[in-house]
Amino acid sequence: MNLTAWGLVFISQLALVAGQIFLKRAMSRRELGEEKARGWIEQLIIGIAAMTIWFLLWLGAMHQVELSKLMPLEGISPLLIVLGAAAFLGERLNGRGWAGVGLTCLGVLLVSVS
Amino acid sequence: MHDRIPAPALPKPAPGLFWNPYLQIFLTVLLTAAAQILLKMGADGSAADDSVGSWLGIRELGSGWTWLGILAFVASFGGWLYALRFLPLGLAFALTNGVHIFVPIGSWLFLHEKISLLRGSGILVIIAGILLLAQSVAKAEERV
Repeated sequence: MNLTAWGLVFISQLALVAGQIFLKRAMSRRELGEEKARGWIEQLIIGIAAMTIWFLLWLGAMHQVELSKLMPLEGISPLLIVLGAAAFLGERLNGRGWAGVGLTCLGVLLVSVS
Repeated sequence: MHDRIPAPALPKPAPGLFWNPYLQIFLTVLLTAAAQILLKMGADGSAADDSVGSWLGIRELGSGWTWLGILAFVASFGGWLYALRFLPLGLAFALTNGVHIFVPIGSWLFLHEKISLLRGSGILVIIAGILLLAQSVAKAEERV
């Protein structure tokens, strides 16, 4: 896996996290109703655009890089999302929630290195 | 990005099992797993190639499996957006890890890939993690 490959995988992960945060913001804003909800469609479109970038890069990477090297990175994405959601959406998890996220990430790592 | 919208006074979903956001996440997970397997079938069907364009999965678009996979992805997206209305992003996304339970099982069924001992234990660890997440939700909802 060369430097370009790493760079592109990194960008795809970044697009994934940003895309999900925009989607969540769009759907939350939509609930506010009328005036305050304005702009949710734009956020949804940004989110979908970011997810499209993620999807195409991921699809391409699947072809270029051995899946066994690619998949462990998949295990990190929930952690990145939880951190992103804490930073940009003000979400908080309780202790069990963190343990659950940690365990699922570990499980994904195990599945992907096997 | 910092114009923080009022922190989630998350709405209540409509009654009925189908509208339960957790069921929708489950359906999203099943559809995503199906999509992954279909995309894999599409990618296997198209020849390897080192050209620059191959970084984007453009060539794979020639396969019908790929399009079925994309269709499953789009359908899963509907359930995902619905669930996001009612659940915090971090929790909902962590639950989508369930994909990694169903992809190996589906790959075993349809692509005849083996499930090794390590992979099997990984699946069990994911299930344990998802159960913990479920407990953390139950606790949080008790307090409300």
